[in-house]
Amino acid sequence: MSLEKRTPVVDDVGVTEDGVDYDALADLLGDSIIDREHHVNAEGFVIRPDDVQSVLRTLKDEAGFDHCSCVTAQDYDDRYESIYHLKKYRDPTQEVSVVVPTPKDDPRHQTGSDVYETANWHEREAYDLVGIEYDDHPDQRRILLPETWQGHPLSQDFNQDQPQVVSLREHANPLQDDKQSPDDPDTMFINIGPHHPATHGVLHVKTVLDGEQIVDIDPDIGYLHRCEEQMCQQGTYRHQIMPYPDRWDYISAGILNEWAYARAAEDLADIEVPEYAQVIRTMSAEMCRIASHSLALATFALDVFGDFTAVFQYGIRDREIAQDLLEDLTGQRLMFNYLRLGGVAWDLPEPREEYFEKIRDFLDDLPEKLAEYHDLVTGNEIFQMRCVDTGILTPEKVKDYGATGPVARGSGVDYDLRRDDPYGYYDELDWDVVTEDGCDNFSRVLVRLRELEESARIIEQCVDLLEEWPEDDRTIQANVPRTLKPDPDREIYRAVEGAKGELGIYIRSDGTDKPARFKIRSPCFSNLQSLAEMSEGEYIPDMIASLGSLDIVLGEVDR
Amino acid sequence: MQSETPLPSAMADLLGLDPSNPLVIFVMAFVASLVVASGLLTLVAVSGIWGKRKITAAFTDRIAVNRHGPMGLLIIPADALRLLSKELIIPEGVDRPAWDLGPLIMVFSALAGFAVIPMGNGIQIADPEVGLAYVFAMASVASLGLVMAGYSSNNKYSFLGGLRAVAQNLAYEIPLILTGMSVVIFAGSLRMSTIVAEQADTLIALGPVAIPQWYAFVNPFAFVLFMVANLAEVGRNPFDIPEAPTEIVAGWQTEYSSVYFVLAYLSEFIHIFLGGAIIATIFLGGPAGPVLPGIVWFLIKIVAVYLFTQWARSAVPRVRIDQLIEIGWKGMLVLSFANLVLTAIIVGVIA
Repeated sequence: MSLEKRTPVVDDVGVTEDGVDYDALADLLGDSIIDREHHVNAEGFVIRPDDVQSVLRTLKDEAGFDHCSCVTAQDYDDRYESIYHLKKYRDPTQEVSVVVPTPKDDPRHQTGSDVYETANWHEREAYDLVGIEYDDHPDQRRILLPETWQGHPLSQDFNQDQPQVVSLREHANPLQDDKQSPDDPDTMFINIGPHHPATHGVLHVKTVLDGEQIVDIDPDIGYLHRCEEQMCQQGTYRHQIMPYPDRWDYISAGILNEWAYARAAEDLADIEVPEYAQVIRTMSAEMCRIASHSLALATFALDVFGDFTAVFQYGIRDREIAQDLLEDLTGQRLMFNYLRLGGVAWDLPEPREEYFEKIRDFLDDLPEKLAEYHDLVTGNEIFQMRCVDTGILTPEKVKDYGATGPVARGSGVDYDLRRDDPYGYYDELDWDVVTEDGCDNFSRVLVRLRELEESARIIEQCVDLLEEWPEDDRTIQANVPRTLKPDPDREIYRAVEGAKGELGIYIRSDGTDKPARFKIRSPCFSNLQSLAEMSEGEYIPDMIASLGSLDIVLGEVDR
Repeated sequence: MQSETPLPSAMADLLGLDPSNPLVIFVMAFVASLVVASGLLTLVAVSGIWGKRKITAAFTDRIAVNRHGPMGLLIIPADALRLLSKELIIPEGVDRPAWDLGPLIMVFSALAGFAVIPMGNGIQIADPEVGLAYVFAMASVASLGLVMAGYSSNNKYSFLGGLRAVAQNLAYEIPLILTGMSVVIFAGSLRMSTIVAEQADTLIALGPVAIPQWYAFVNPFAFVLFMVANLAEVGRNPFDIPEAPTEIVAGWQTEYSSVYFVLAYLSEFIHIFLGGAIIATIFLGGPAGPVLPGIVWFLIKIVAVYLFTQWARSAVPRVRIDQLIEIGWKGMLVLSFANLVLTAIIVGVIA
């Protein structure tokens, strides 16, 4: 088995062979802790609002929690609360939650963005949607909603019927005084997007240029915000939430997203998934990854080659084959809705042999196609000229920004939840985690191309397993109660390796059949935050290429 | 400056008019230009509206237009009608008439270049002594149109595109012309008909097959240099930087719609064909070729160059603007000077 199991990291404070010793961590933090909570995934330390920075700093520097995966904000009847979900890049199974309650009448506490750069955007979102204010935050603006929005829609006292009035002044010509940045009269302000051929959707990048070079960029997101979190909070666990994940990263990564919800909800409600269903999940998820990475390569070619190029269409062509396989399995081309809590919707299509044959044909053709891609794309001198050493993102910055997935692995950060926090059937199979050390646009493309091979390996082994599977043991769903009502106040944060990186779900139950809080940690959201780091000082074409190499899907960024 | 006018004179003869009368020649030149321009525009319509789609589709594994008429050919009138009937949007604050003149200059400069190209079967409107210099001059006038369009559009993307166009043309025009001059050293004349005639001699005879003395065979190095510089001149991948759709939307042509867009689009294709015509004339023996009539060979050659640009467009990444300037000034310029000096020495020694 070539998938190398990593030995647990035991040299950090509070780490034992069995996992994290929360008492040791509590000793480290001392008086800062005012209470302890138990979440399903980790222990939560409740701290005072003015202790946030010192606690996070201690946990990061002394206990090795270098990955601020997500910041969840929520509104209880008696308090507001921010939760910092901390992990380690070396071992993401070592988790701790830092819970910061704030009073109902004055929801404000210290920012964590001084410690983790990634908390900057997460806290902006928390401010925008829930209404918690963060002291000393460098950039306390709304992030998803328009600047003129009144109220905070996920807080309990939000009045849905309140008209959102936008004054005429706000509609003033946005181009009026943008001839240059006020600090430097030689620069030029330019809006890249929201309608621009290279932003892969409705992304708006406010750019200040000095000649052709980028002085400052500020990605403006939220154009595709569809209240996905709130919609999930209004659905029942059992069936009504599963269709939504397909619509986050809607570019063929559906089953990977569904799995994120399935994993969180199954762990929350203690549902065991039958092994047979796990193998089907693993296989279909990797098909999604192939489809998704093919499209990432295709659209990256759009950015670097130009429109209507051969590479783009080849990428689309190969994605379509994976798409067909998924359609045969799930009955849908993109919005699969195939996973169920406790298993999958139905068994493989009959006749099974024919379906396996189809998959094998696809896998057999793949190496040749990959060789073609390497000839046409990564082997091209001009392509290398454009992509090598542009859009640099150092491993330190990767961790600081909470970047995950191919973006992190392209910078040599060996982090893949499929191996490090195993779920599904991945730990039984023989495959490798791909990393590249270039830290540049080229490495990120290379990682995706090589991951196609690894996904193909996984699918092949799954097909072998499924072919041999005894007929009387093909349980596709566990026995799950018709109405799921997890115990009140159970909290869980669980992540899976989506197509773009770590896709996490936080769920808090309140004893009903619907979640009280449903928070989505989108990998694209965190990855996109690093765009400024990669592009400032570079040329416009490099910024476009970096944006392409991040492979964002605005549906997932904005949710 | 004396200039011969092969096609107008022939037409005058045909109609029984006196070719030495300047008025007759003036009128006949006008008619001849109409004929040549109509032929060119037809070629552009076929290749730009229909051919381009079919070729790109072939490269990218698609089918492209196939609904209107045989092989989708009727898309040509349909698209022409569609484009011309669209609303002409004139953005606020554009600098007229520069904004209106830009596309016109681009189209007419490219068309005017064809006046001196010998297309075989006597189709050549004028044959001045400075033919090659004239054709380069005309091809370069288009840069003026690009700058006008980019600068007057009151749009930052157009502005960036206009600046890029100037930078690119400066970087490539000089190597292009220097490489063209090495041909002049061989031919000993700037006159197009002389350049073509010089290439008719046999270079090597392989039994019954005589390989003519086309300058592409005599000096392949110059031919390759010229092909590359020509890609930059017509702004096709890897050098489609002034438009760079994924970077600066559509560069200088961002704000043009309807008829003006048609003109801008047209000018690009005419430029590609003008580039092909120059290459055919100075490197590929002009209209020369076995069996088929000269005009057919000439068309084959310019369409071949057109196919090459489409191939590059489908398969080659775009270089960055700073890389392009570097390639132009540090690479191509040096190589084209070396080529010119070596050619001069060799020709001097042999002669």
